[in-house]
Formats: sequence, C-alpha cells, structure tokens
Amino acid sequence: MITIEQQQGLLLNISRRLDKKVTVYAIGGTAMMFLGFKDATLDIDLVFENEKDKEIFKKALKSLGYLEMDAMKVYGKKKNQPEMLKLDDERFDLFMVEVISFIFSETMQKRAEQIHQFENNLILKIANPHDIILMKCATDRLKDKDDAMKIINSVKIDWKILIQEAKKQIELGKERAAFDLGYFLEDLKRNFKVNIPQEVLDTLFSIVEKQAKEKIKG
Amino acid sequence: MKKYELLKKLEGTQTIESVKDILHVNKKMAIYYIYRLRKEGYVKTKKQSNNNRVYNISLENKLGGKSYYEIINENSPLKISTPIFYKIYGKEPSLEETLVYAIKTKSLRTILASLALFKRINNWTKLYRLAKENHIEKQVGALYDLTREIIKVRKMKVRFRNNSLPKKENKFEYIIPKLKSKDFKKIEKLWKVYLPFNKEDLEEYK
Repeated sequence: MITIEQQQGLLLNISRRLDKKVTVYAIGGTAMMFLGFKDATLDIDLVFENEKDKEIFKKALKSLGYLEMDAMKVYGKKKNQPEMLKLDDERFDLFMVEVISFIFSETMQKRAEQIHQFENNLILKIANPHDIILMKCATDRLKDKDDAMKIINSVKIDWKILIQEAKKQIELGKERAAFDLGYFLEDLKRNFKVNIPQEVLDTLFSIVEKQAKEKIKG
Repeated sequence: MKKYELLKKLEGTQTIESVKDILHVNKKMAIYYIYRLRKEGYVKTKKQSNNNRVYNISLENKLGGKSYYEIINENSPLKISTPIFYKIYGKEPSLEETLVYAIKTKSLRTILASLALFKRINNWTKLYRLAKENHIEKQVGALYDLTREIIKVRKMKVRFRNNSLPKKENKFEYIIPKLKSKDFKKIEKLWKVYLPFNKEDLEEYK
C-alpha cells in the first residue's frame, strides 16, 4: 500500500527523471486519494494521451528500479490491458487512452479539473468522481466495487453524466458500455446495498435493448 | 465517526462553537475531533485578536503544495478566488512563472490581480524566456507599461523591451479575445496588443 505522502514523494522522484513535460490522467486509487476518498492505494492507474509520453514515463519508472510484469495476472484475458510495472508493493498500471472496455474520452479529459504539478515535468490530472466510477466498471478488479461504493456513498452523483457517458462510449465504438455499466451498478445495488436509483438501471438496460433490436434489424 | 465523514462535515472555516453545532457534540468532543483531523494534517489554525481560534479544515492542507492563485493573492492587493484546482509540489513557483500562467488563463480578474507581480519581478531573463516559450512576450510588455501607469514597479530590462517590441510585420493581438481598451491606446499601439482594461478597471489599485 502507498500513502498520500509516499505517493507524492514517488511522483516527485519520477518527475525529476522525466526528459520532458508529461501530462497524465489519474483514474483509480490515486485519483481517489487526491479527491479525499481514501488514504492509501495498492496500484497507481494512469492514462496517457500518447505513446511517446508513456514511454518516457516508463523509462523514468525503470530508472527507479520498477520492473515490468505480466498484466494477464491481474486482468486475465481482458482487452486493452495496461503495461504494468512493479517495485515491492507498489504497482503502476499504464493505460493508453483505452481502459479495458472503455475509452478515456475527451469529455472525461475535460471533466478532469483538478491539476497537480510535480516540479517541472509531471502534470497529473485527476479524473472526475463520475469517471472514476466508469473506470472502476471498466477494470472491475477485486476492490474496484468497494471503491465505486465509497464514491457513490460520499458524493452526490449526477446519474445523467454516467448515462450520457455510456452513450458516448457506444458512439466511440464501445458497444458493451451501457451493458457493462448497468451490470456493474446492478451488482452494487444488489450485493453491496448501494443506493442506485432503479430508473438509472432501467435507462441503461433500455439502451442495451435498443442496441439489440438495431442489431437484429441490421 | 469515520474520518472522511468528519472531514466532509467540517470542511471549511470553523470555530469550536461551529464544530459543536455541526456535530451536535459538547466542547470536549469538538476539541477531540479537531485534534484528530489536525494530527493527520487537515487543519490549519489561526488565532483571532480576541484569542479565539479559527480552524481551516480541508484536504488541501494535507496535500500541501502551492497554487499560482495563492502566489497572486500573497502579492496583490486584489484578492481572487481560485477558479480551478492547480497545485504545484516540490518547488515554489516563481513570480515570473505565475505572471505567465495568469496571462495564459485569459481571465480578466486573474490578469488584473497579477499586475501587482511587476512590483517584485526582477528576473527579466527568466520572464523573457517563459514569455517567449508561450508566445506572449508582447502581452507581458504591454501589461508592464500599463502597470507602470498605476503603481510603482521595478524597471524592465532594456533587453527585454527591445527583444519583445513588435516588428513592423506583426499584427495586433489580444490578451483576452475581443477585449480592447478605450483609455490605453498609446500602449496598445506601441506593443500591437489590445489591452483588456480601461482606467476604471484599475481603480482597485489606487
């Protein structure tokens, strides 16, 4: 586990090793720590806008002693897996725009309003809580549901944002977005007793039904 | 009570009395809750003239770092609220960086407040480099000349001025799109930059 203070120290260390300015989005536990939802995280999930920045970041991590590891161990056979680097207990999951079954879309990037700059070269943008839920739905690892539950119970969720983003993801070619989100939220409601309005689930599944009908027609 | 619930309820400026009211607890428990948050770095305490303590409670206190807006507020008589969350860690942003950031925000109030930075800016080489990187050296020059008309500022290095003044072929540029000055035409003409302020906008500096 890495705490807020340790994470800040680590990010400063990385920044000092970067050759150029790199902008990156924090989407998981790291984002939750910066937003005050948790004190520590197991892994640092980051999304890059371009391959070059990711390579520069990876180089900096390797110079700190981080070693690459097989993403299959955590993500199984899921698509768009991150590159993973590990040192002791700390793990970085480095995604490139696509996060498993979701795209870290332009609207998500715009919603990331909190900016943290580490020395000169590392600019970390923090995903909006709504988008963290969507990313938690995308990765759906152990603990991701706990994290999503924590967010939903802590802030006022504008469910329209989640529904709109699911639609946006479908437009971007991620056909499963509404289904995956609906399934994820339904599980939270049933098994974790999270207060999710039934009409949100109904809307998501009506989108899925519509998709199915269109497919049959086509 | 869980820490985050406590933090959420007490976020902002508080006194022992307000903590008592919010949490519906007695004085002893209110002190205990503030102690718990302070221990984790969430609390900054100020003493008022009547010896009462005022507590600023927020996650930002724990995160530390410094924002450009804090620097502007520390150096300007005009105080601005923070429109966006932008924190810098591991270094104290310089006044030169802060000025360039302020101009790039294209926010009238932020730029207006940042004019006071000219009083303390002395690294003109650094300012020129940063302004050049961001293609705003003419804007910096024009805002400097404008500031000189309202407050006492440090002298701009001749080299900065000579390197930044527009060439014949340069076109007029805006600092804030579509905003021109009625009162500072001379400066605008010299720098080929439209200034977003009129005389009355600068009255807060007097």
